[in-house]
This record gives sequence, structure tokens and C-alpha cells, in this order.
Amino acid sequence: MKWLVIIGAVVAAVGLFLLANASADTALLAQHYPLLLGINAALAALLAALVVTQILMLTRRLRARVFGARLTLRLLARFAALAVVPGLIVYAVSVQFLTRSIESWFDVKVDAALEGGINLGQQVIERMTLDLQRKANAMALELAERPSAQLATQLERLRGQLDVDEAVVVTGSGRLVASAAQDVTRLVPELPAGHALRQARAKRSYTAVDAVVGGPLALRVVVPLDVSPEVRFLQVRQSVPPSFARSAEAVEAAYRDYRELAISRDGLKRIYIVTLTFALLMALFAAVAVAATQSGLLAEPLANLAQATQAVARGDFSRRAPVTSRDELGVLTESFNSMTRQLEEARRGAESNRVAIEAAKGRLENILANMSAGVLVFDRDLGLSISNHGAAAILGTELEAFAALMRAHFAEQGDQSWQLELQLRGTGKTLHARGAHLPQATGGGSVVVFDDITRLIQAQRATAWAEVARRLAHEIKNPLTPIQLSAERLQMKLAERLSREDADTLRRSTETIVNQVAALKAMVDDFRDYARLPAPEPAPLDLNALVCQVLALYENSTVLIAKHLAESLPLAWADGAQIRQVIHNLVQNAQDALEHRVESGASPVIEVRTELLGDRIRLAVSDNGGGFPEELMARIFEPYVTTKPRGTGLGLAIVKKIVDEHHGAVTIENQPSCGASVSVLLPLAKAA
Amino acid sequence: MRRIAVISGFLGILLAVVPARADDIEVRDIALYSVEEGLALDADFAFDLTPRLADVLANGVPLYFRVEFELTRWRWYWLDDRAASSSIHLRLSYHALSRQYRLSTGALQQSFPTLEEALNVLKRVRNWLVVDRTARLTNADYEAAVRMRLDTTMLPMPFQLSALTRRDLHLESPWKRFIVRAPAVPKR
Repeated sequence: MKWLVIIGAVVAAVGLFLLANASADTALLAQHYPLLLGINAALAALLAALVVTQILMLTRRLRARVFGARLTLRLLARFAALAVVPGLIVYAVSVQFLTRSIESWFDVKVDAALEGGINLGQQVIERMTLDLQRKANAMALELAERPSAQLATQLERLRGQLDVDEAVVVTGSGRLVASAAQDVTRLVPELPAGHALRQARAKRSYTAVDAVVGGPLALRVVVPLDVSPEVRFLQVRQSVPPSFARSAEAVEAAYRDYRELAISRDGLKRIYIVTLTFALLMALFAAVAVAATQSGLLAEPLANLAQATQAVARGDFSRRAPVTSRDELGVLTESFNSMTRQLEEARRGAESNRVAIEAAKGRLENILANMSAGVLVFDRDLGLSISNHGAAAILGTELEAFAALMRAHFAEQGDQSWQLELQLRGTGKTLHARGAHLPQATGGGSVVVFDDITRLIQAQRATAWAEVARRLAHEIKNPLTPIQLSAERLQMKLAERLSREDADTLRRSTETIVNQVAALKAMVDDFRDYARLPAPEPAPLDLNALVCQVLALYENSTVLIAKHLAESLPLAWADGAQIRQVIHNLVQNAQDALEHRVESGASPVIEVRTELLGDRIRLAVSDNGGGFPEELMARIFEPYVTTKPRGTGLGLAIVKKIVDEHHGAVTIENQPSCGASVSVLLPLAKAA
Repeated sequence: MRRIAVISGFLGILLAVVPARADDIEVRDIALYSVEEGLALDADFAFDLTPRLADVLANGVPLYFRVEFELTRWRWYWLDDRAASSSIHLRLSYHALSRQYRLSTGALQQSFPTLEEALNVLKRVRNWLVVDRTARLTNADYEAAVRMRLDTTMLPMPFQLSALTRRDLHLESPWKRFIVRAPAVPKR
């Protein structure tokens, strides 16, 4: 576009120069004036098209809201105004001046003077013609009726006498009869033309001015000489004096030029105005085109800068605005680039920091997530902000309730750290929680770390009970044997000495003692068994077969036992001997629960069921007895907790202990209709 | 769309500048005949000077008339064959000092006391050798064309500009065309 403008301007300048030269009346260019005019018009049109194109392009960029277009437009408007206004003023003044000055050339006085000069010349020539005619008439009078033989000498004499340049006598058909000339070098005189002779015959006289271009100005008079014997004519020629001829021609030329100018002044004005107009148009178009290019060049670095700014705003720091100039804009661009570079470095640093922090945070979170202990973090307003996986595993659905409890505790304890042991209401788990406040520097808040210590407590309790049982067995069993022996000895020694009635009494008492001691012994053995329960030695176990074996022992019992054994039950991972005990205990418990039913004559039923439940095997023993009292449900697995009138209350405790050591689970529920159901969940062999 | 309007408007202005053809000269009688040197033409034209032109002439500005002749042979397979073309310039001027109208053709110069006489001579072209003997003509039909026009390019420049827009500075005849059947050029 730039080169287009430059070339256009140069061509326009050349065209304008030629046009101006042509206007100044150079012969060569004058011939091609219309062509030049057309060329210049075409050039002006091209320049105009260029300007229009540029303005259209600018408009399109304005519509598209290209950055810098508005600035370009403003600069263009300024530049254009700078060019257009002075141009128009100069143009107006020039046109005005030109038309005035052209008008001023034409002065009435000059006009009159030139007109007078011409008139003067014409009158002088007329006078000379009249004079010449008089001379011709005089000569004709003299020569009339003269014979042809004398004519030549007479002619010469008269010519000399009357001071005529040339005298010729011709016949009516134009043939030369005689001639006399002052200039003897001229051999052939000028003969009158046919129409001159005709006019001379008709009007008795013919006068003419011979004004051959480049030749001398000469007067010519033709008069008829005589009519008989044949028609002859006399022609006299007289040259106008050369000085007069020169002056007259000069006046004539000046007058002609003047008249030409005068009648063509409108055209002349038009020429100058057209030339000026073309000059103005081309200058304006070129100026506007240059202005458009220049303003585009000025606005370009700004647009570049804007693009780079937008790129930076998008986060792209790689863009650098090109530095195109050494001026303030260049400095601005340079500093923008360095700013971008610094920004990029700063962002890179921040990015690496963030990555490091995130890695650390991820590590912490990983640790937190993989902790078995539950961690709850509260923010400053005691809203729960973080809870780890362990917390969810321990609390389950009770998370919110627990969090509320902790909040209350924090509120209660103030700024101090605290420890707390508590039992969950729903699952009955025992938790140990420690609360602490986070330092204010890190935003404050508080953290609770808690553990599920249910198993720990159970284990502690089991250990304590085992110890008690061991002691009890030891302490109780030792005196039992002497008591039994003593009682038997008493009977042996005293039975014979007593009366029959007394002997009976003694015998009954002794039997009672022995029986009770035996019962005590059995109880102590039970305790010992509980205390000494060995660690299970799990192996793959066919639970269904085991159940069948155990139940075979109860075939003769008074209570009907129904078996619902799942087919193709997978092997369990358990110690067969201990599980046998579990089944015994459960079935016996059920039988005990149904005893009063037997007595009341109802139809008692025990149901033993095995089934696969997810990745565990479930063994359920249920009865339709009285069920467990609600108040005992929480502590039913502890030793000495029993519903039965007799019994040690160790049955379920042992079950619980065995199942726990198998990593299984025991649940007890009262059935909705009547009776209770105890479910034991055992792991699968493959899972173990 | 707007650009098209601008361009067409501009073209319209350019076209308006080109003057309408003024067919003011009538070509009357034409005769093409053989002479010893070749083919000669006699032609009569009829026209009157416009008042403006008469004024221009009376103010000493010479008028140049141009008579043109063309002899072409039509060819269906190619551009027409231009067998011969010639033109003469006639200069008509007024000499204020002697109050004479001058008509010059080449070196020949004639003076006339009145414009009518000068024009009468101007309108009659006689014995104009248009086709030289050396021209090679075939024995076919030719089309001859004659016209006369005022050569405005020879006018002084101010008039040329006026001539671009003014009709009264134009005098021109259309091409008068006639068929010449096998023009016989005398061979020596």
C-alpha cells in the first residue's frame, strides 16, 4: 500500500507536470492536450480509488473494532485536514487571482489601440490602392489605342514616370502582351488571374492586396485598357514600403494574437482552472493517501502493543511486541517487553512454589487419608472443614452428630486441649478423642483426633475376666476337693452311728454337698476354659458338615431342631473345635430359652441356618422363645450376664470371644414375632 | 455495492465529457476516377460554419479542415485489408490587414475577399490523387470511405478544452462509404 501510494503520487506528479507544461502552450504537448487531460483524470481517479480503498479498509477495521483503528482514523483526519484546508485556500486564492488577472489582460484601451492600428493599416493600404488605381487609370489613358509595337517602350516610360513597381498588359484571355518592371531580375511577371480580369471588365477596375505568407505585401490594380481590336488589360503592382509592411504585419500579428486570446479567454481560464483543479485533487488525494499510510504506520506499534497486552491478559507471556522505531513508542514497547519478561519469570517462580506446596499438601493429605485414626478439622467458626477417611470409617452415619458433640466440647473447654472418652449411641463404639487448637498464625481453628478403642477395651476386659476366672478357679477349686472328701468321710464315719432318720438326713446333706461341689467344680472348669481359651488355629472348614455333626447329638432332645443349610457353601476359615463349641453354646442357649415353653406345652422350634452373605458365611441360630430383655442387649456378651435361672452366663461370652478371635462378628436381635436370633459371621477360607 | 456506484458514476462523468458526434458536414457528390497517376477523387461537401467558428475565424484563428480517404477490402478471415489511405489538410484563415480569407493546401495558397468564396473552394475537392499508381490492388470489390472534419487538435489550446465540452466547435461528416468495383488503376 505504501509503495502504491508513492508510485501513484510520482506518476500523478509527472502527469501534472506535463499538463502544466501543456497549459503553458508548448506546441508538442498542446496537440495532445485532450489526451493529457484524460490521463490526468484517470490518474486522479486512480488516486481517488486508492484513497477510497484505504478509507474503506479503515472503516472495515473500525467496524471489526480492531485496536488502533480509531487512532488511525483520528490521525488520518488530522493529517487530511492539515493538507486539505491549506490546499483549498491556496486553490481558491489561485483561481480567484487567475480569473482576475486573465480578465485584466483585456483592456479596452489596448483593444482600441490594436483595432486602431489595424484600421490605420487598412486605411493606408486603401489610400495606396486608390493612388495606384489613379496611376493605373492615367497609364491606361496614355496607353489606350497605342499599337502593340510601341506598347513596351510606352509602358516602361510610364512606369518610370509614375513610379510603379511593375506594369503588365495582357489580353482578355490572360496572355502577356507587354511588361515593364522595376526589378529587372524578375523575368516572369505576375499575371492577373482570370477572376480578376472578369471583375475588371465588369466593374472597370479590380483591386487586390497580395499578402502571400512570407512574401512582401503588394497592391495590385487591374483596369481594362481598350476594347478594340481586342480586349486588353493593364495591371500595375506596387509593393508596400517594407518598413510599413513590417509594422503593419506586426500590428496584424499582435491584433490576431490578442483577438485569439480575447475570444478564448473563457477557455484559457478553464484550462488554468482545470490544471489547478487537477493539481489540487492529486495533491489532496496523494496527501490523504500518504496520511492514511502514515497514520497506519503510527498506529501499528500501538496495535502490536495492544495485541501483546491482550495476550498477556490471557496468560500468554511468550508474545513480544516487535520494536519498530527508536522513538518513545519504541522505548515503550521495549519496556513492555521487559515487563512481560519479568512477569513471566515471576509467574514461573509462583508456579514452582505452588507445585511444591501442592506436593507437600498432597503428601499430608495422603498421610491423613491413610491414617486409621479419625481426624476432624474445624475452622475458626467451628464449621467442619476437613474429615479424613478414618473418621468416615469409624463414624459412618454418625459423623455429623459426633462433629456437633465435638463443637460443643470445644465451646465448653475454651482454649485448652482436652481428651475425652465416649461411646457412640448408634454403633456403641467407644472412642478416644483428643482435641487441640490450631495456632492462629495458620488461620486458627481446631482439630480432633480420635480412635476407635472398642476392641482395645474389649480385649482389656477379656484379659481381666480371664485373669479373674483363673484366680477364681484356682482359689475356689482348691478347697472344693477337701470339702467333698470331708463330706463323704463324715457320711462314712457317722452313718452307722446315727439313727436311721439322722442317717438319712446326713446322707441327703452329704449328697447335696457333693453335688454342689461337683457343680462348683464344673463352673470353675468353665471359667478355666474361658480363661484358657487357646488361640484359634484356623483352617478351611466345611461349616455345613460341622453343623450336621453337632446337631446329631441333639437328635433325642425334646425340642425340634430345623436345619436350613445353604447348598454349595464355600469353606470357612476357622478352627473346627472352637466353632463346634460355638454351635453347642448357641443351641444350648436356645434350648434353655425354650425350656419353659416345653413346660407350657407350646411347640418350640430351633432353627439353624447357614448362608453366604457377601464375602462372609453366616451361621444363624434362632428360636421362638422369650427373646433377650432389651436392658441386657448392650452387655449380653459379658460374662455373668444371663437371663437364665442357672448357668454361668459364660456361653455367649465364649461365643463372642471365639468369633472375635476369628475376625468375625456376632449380632443378636430379637425377632419381631417372638424369640431371638444370634448370627455369627465367619470369613471365607480364600479371604483369610 | 457502494464502490460499484462510485465507479459507475465516475465512468458516467468521463462519458459525459466525450462530446456527442456532430454530423454537420454533408458529403454530397463523390466521384472516383482513373487518371494517369492513379485514382483521383472529386468530392463536394456541404456545410455552414457555426457562428462560433465564424467568430473564431474572424478573430484571426486559423481553422484546419481535414479530408480523409480510405480504400479497404473486406476479408472474412482477417482484419480488413487497407489498400490505400490519404488525407489532406486545408487551412482557412483570415488576414485582417488585407481583409482577405486565405485558403492553403500544402504550398498552394489562395486569397478570397469573402468567406463564401473561400468556403466554396474549400467545399469542393477536385482532382485529388488518392490512390497512387504503385498501390497494389486486386481485382476485387473495395469499399471507399470519405469524410471531412474540422481538426480540433490544431486549434489553439484554450479552444481544445472548449471543444471537449462544446458542440459548436465541431464540424464533422460521417464516413461516406461506397463500393468500388474492381478499381482499374492504369498500369504502365
